Amino acid sequence: MANYDVIIIGAGPGGYVCAIRCAQLGLKTACVEGRETLGGTCLNVGCIPSKALLHASHMLHEAEHNFAAMGLKGKAPSVDWPQMLAYKDETIGTNTKGIEFLFKKNKVDWIKGWASIPAAGKVKVGEEVHEAKAIIIASGSEPASLPGVEVDEKTVVTSTGALALAKVPKSMVVIGAGVIGLELGSVYARLGAEVTVVEYLDAITPGMDGEVQKTFQRILKKQGLNFVMGAAVQKTEVNRGKAKVTYKLKKDDSEHVLEAETVLVATGRKPYTQGLGLDALGIEMTKRGQIAVGKDWQTSVKGIYAIGDVIEGPMLAHKAEDEGMAVAEQVAGKHGHVNYGVIPGVIYTTPEVATVGATEDSLKAAGVAYKVGKFSFMGNARAKAVFQGEGFVKLLADKETDRVLGCHIIGPGAGDLIHEICVAMEFGASAEDVALTCHAHPTFSEAVREAALACGDGPIHS
Amino acid sequence: MNELRCSLLVIGGGPGGYVCASRAARLGVDTILVEGNRVGGTCLNVGCIPSKALIHAADLYHAAVMQSRGGMLGITVAAPKLDFARTQEWSRGVVDKLCAGVGGLLERSGVKTLKGWARFRDGKTVEVESETGPVLVRAENVVIATGSRPAEVPGLAVGGRVLDSTAALALPEPPARLAVIGAGYIGLELGTAFTKLGSKVTLIEAGPSILPQYDERLTRPVRRRLGDLGIELRLGTRSTGWNDATGELGLDGDNDPLGVDAVLVTVGRMPCTDGMGLDELGLRQNGPFIEVDDRCRTSMRGVYAIGDVTHGPMLAHRAMAQGEIVADVVAGHAAAWDKACVPAVCFTDPEIVSVGLLPAEVPEGVASKVSEFPFRANGRALTLDDTDGFVRIVSRESDHVILGIQATGPGVSELVSGFAVAIEAGLRAEDLAGTIHAHPTLSEALQEAALMQVSMANHG
Ligand SMILES: Cc1cc2nc3c(=O)[nH]c(=O)nc-3n(C[C@H](O)[C@H](O)[C@H](O)COP(=O)(O)OP(=O)(O)OC[C@H]3O[C@@H](n4cnc5c(N)ncnc54)[C@H](O)[C@@H]3O)c2cc1C
Ligand SMILES: Cc1cc2nc3c(=O)[nH]c(=O)nc-3n(C[C@H](O)[C@H](O)[C@H](O)COP(=O)(O)OP(=O)(O)OC[C@H]3O[C@@H](n4cnc5c(N)ncnc54)[C@H](O)[C@@H]3O)c2cc1C
Repeated sequence: MANYDVIIIGAGPGGYVCAIRCAQLGLKTACVEGRETLGGTCLNVGCIPSKALLHASHMLHEAEHNFAAMGLKGKAPSVDWPQMLAYKDETIGTNTKGIEFLFKKNKVDWIKGWASIPAAGKVKVGEEVHEAKAIIIASGSEPASLPGVEVDEKTVVTSTGALALAKVPKSMVVIGAGVIGLELGSVYARLGAEVTVVEYLDAITPGMDGEVQKTFQRILKKQGLNFVMGAAVQKTEVNRGKAKVTYKLKKDDSEHVLEAETVLVATGRKPYTQGLGLDALGIEMTKRGQIAVGKDWQTSVKGIYAIGDVIEGPMLAHKAEDEGMAVAEQVAGKHGHVNYGVIPGVIYTTPEVATVGATEDSLKAAGVAYKVGKFSFMGNARAKAVFQGEGFVKLLADKETDRVLGCHIIGPGAGDLIHEICVAMEFGASAEDVALTCHAHPTFSEAVREAALACGDGPIHS
Repeated sequence: MNELRCSLLVIGGGPGGYVCASRAARLGVDTILVEGNRVGGTCLNVGCIPSKALIHAADLYHAAVMQSRGGMLGITVAAPKLDFARTQEWSRGVVDKLCAGVGGLLERSGVKTLKGWARFRDGKTVEVESETGPVLVRAENVVIATGSRPAEVPGLAVGGRVLDSTAALALPEPPARLAVIGAGYIGLELGTAFTKLGSKVTLIEAGPSILPQYDERLTRPVRRRLGDLGIELRLGTRSTGWNDATGELGLDGDNDPLGVDAVLVTVGRMPCTDGMGLDELGLRQNGPFIEVDDRCRTSMRGVYAIGDVTHGPMLAHRAMAQGEIVADVVAGHAAAWDKACVPAVCFTDPEIVSVGLLPAEVPEGVASKVSEFPFRANGRALTLDDTDGFVRIVSRESDHVILGIQATGPGVSELVSGFAVAIEAGLRAEDLAGTIHAHPTLSEALQEAALMQVSMANHG
């Protein structure tokens, strides 16, 4: 048993960043993690492995589709799946070891094992009870389940199983057209699987800008993904390694069956609080099973805080990280702050999708008068040169003040392009501020400037 | 002689000229554009676009070759074959599409485009040798946007196997052995691309370093990569002449002559100001460039100059920005050059970008702070299997106001415009550190470098 200033439970992006920050701020810090490696969902079974597979399969797609037009000839490439998985695992390994190194460097103790909180100020791991002035819960999330669908992580898998399939299936049904389903669906479609996405709602990627949704779905269809929209999955059955998915169409209640070698259940994630003993502590929860916190991320029990996927808000690694930093500063007696109005979201398909701030729908709902500046990548020289002219940048600005309110990008490199708008929104920039900044030629980022010009007296290249 | 009148005449249809003309026309100014060659200028026809197309094809070809030798991504490919004629055809297709786009843009904007070479009679009258005979254009305002052309090395006349960048971009085959004279960004970009396409390249530079405008740290990853690719770098070396009969390039000092199949000369570019009657106008010069003020006005009333003919970085986006300003000024709007920075990109391997001040450029008496975050510690770079390089922030020590941002590494060409926004806004490192950056993206490296300025990085 030992005494700490802070003990953090969970070493995902929320927990490990918080731990490093606490230690940097001079607090005696420990982080409890039950997994064999640090990094949480994100590094082990989330962002990093999915992006490694997306990158590798994107290279394959390029070779198959765009090489010939550029005069690069050769036999069609084939996939060495075990090697691709090995590449993914190596990427995970480098990342998680990096965190281990940072823990050592910053003198964060890693307590291995699963933690519970027997009482405020106490953390129990195995038989040992440690004491801490502050406890920060960063226990993350796990895949949500669906009634009638039993996951075996072989034939019917969650994202975790989908990142380590024994072989590339010939056919795959993805339940849920959210970010994770579409990213992993894309990976397997590129690797040759016949992929069908079944979605309950009538649009993919719920909550996103409507034009982006439409364009995105059209592009994915062109890439070979099939969509069944407005369909409620009733059940899955597995027979001799083959799965049947039964769904009902909402419009006419008709029942249909799809067969596939693999079913990926990607209907979202839910907060993970098992074994922490929150009930006994009387920690207040939200209706959706998240830990309820106040402005300073403190729970209903003094001295116990919570951050990341386990509390309200978008389930994103960088949101967890930022909360981790802010809460570390709070605990150290400083002033941590998170601007929830400016959290970018990225989908790493080809093309990428990125969004930040308000959508047209949310502005309409709030009764804000706004203007739209839109610019197509077809008018962008670099995009055209690399076969990526599909998509657009859409900037939303206040009609009166020209202040940037939101940005929605579908197109090449969107995930990096969005950040100049994040920075601009953080300092309350107007669209004109963005337009008056010289953007390098030839880059995709010129399209962002053109969209800003479109909020004013018009873009140049359209 | 046919006579035309207009309020604005733009000479040169490169990025400076076409942007100026189309914007002015849309602002209601009666505009004529004269272009002797094809609209799009250096940039679209023989510059940015064909060079980036070649680099893109070379990168993919090279990646496939490496993969065929057992790459780590798990894609099995047979060694690919290069059909360079097809590559060039594709590149020309891209250029054609973009030039047609500019043509359409000018038309939609209501610009009258004249094909032909322009020559000043006086500050308001220009004679154009057009296809349909000479035309005299009388204009209230004239913009000189005639751009630049490759500079030459004395004793090494371009022609035959001695190439300038334009000729190199039109080669039917990558030369087996290529000497590149001049290690500026154009020489490095093309030299690297040809190496990846199979040429054996020797890079000859008279100065002590590549990309002399940048510091050693910033260019180190590129230098290392040149070595890995097998490019031979000869610094502090001058060429002494070319023997076309033997195919040997003489080098000074105790170097043996170099046997090559082609020589590419990339020793910079010169403004195009001759042969069009400019001497008679007697415009004030700044060295070889036309001197302009913050509204791009020359020393003669009603005559403007923009782009590569003016003093400053020879970059397409600077030309375009100047073009916009002149369009506004002529249309009677308030506009002036007040950019805090112009981003610069070298599409080398890895890319190098810079905005604002380099560490060495911080004025004396200003205490500065430099932080550098490596891509080695960036998750996205790891998933791309491309971790060379870093993002570097130079700030004023007293208040962390950002003075400059540089980077070298994967995809940094798409980060630099964001860097420019930060500098234009006069941000402090705290502002960048406090902006949530999406995970996993390359952009996180900027936030981390900012955190290092303020306190310390999360992942470093
Ligand atoms: C396939 C997939 C792709 C994704 N891609 C992205 C993306 O591209 N970008 C993005 O921003 N987000 C992405 N996400 C979401 C991202 O992974 C999460 O938002 C992020 O990991 C949340 O961080 P966290 O620290 O809150 O929790 P987690 O990362 O879930 O970490 C929680 C950790 O706590 C540990 N833990 C839990 N309870 C205990 C206990 N009692 N004792 C000890 N340890 C415990 C767990 O083992 C786990 O390691 C993706 C998720 C998935 C599944
Ligand atoms: C290989 C190469 C790669 C490059 N890469 C990049 C890059 O990646 N990014 C970047 O920003 N910049 C790049 N540049 C530089 C960029 O091309 C120039 O900065 C840009 O084109 C300058 O624009 P401009 O409008 O001033 O002139 P130009 O583009 O040079 O256009 C001038 C036009 O004027 C016409 N003209 C000249 N005289 C007359 C006359 N008397 N009558 C009628 N017409 C006339 C010419 O035919 C020409 O079309 C590159 C250049 C080269 C050579």
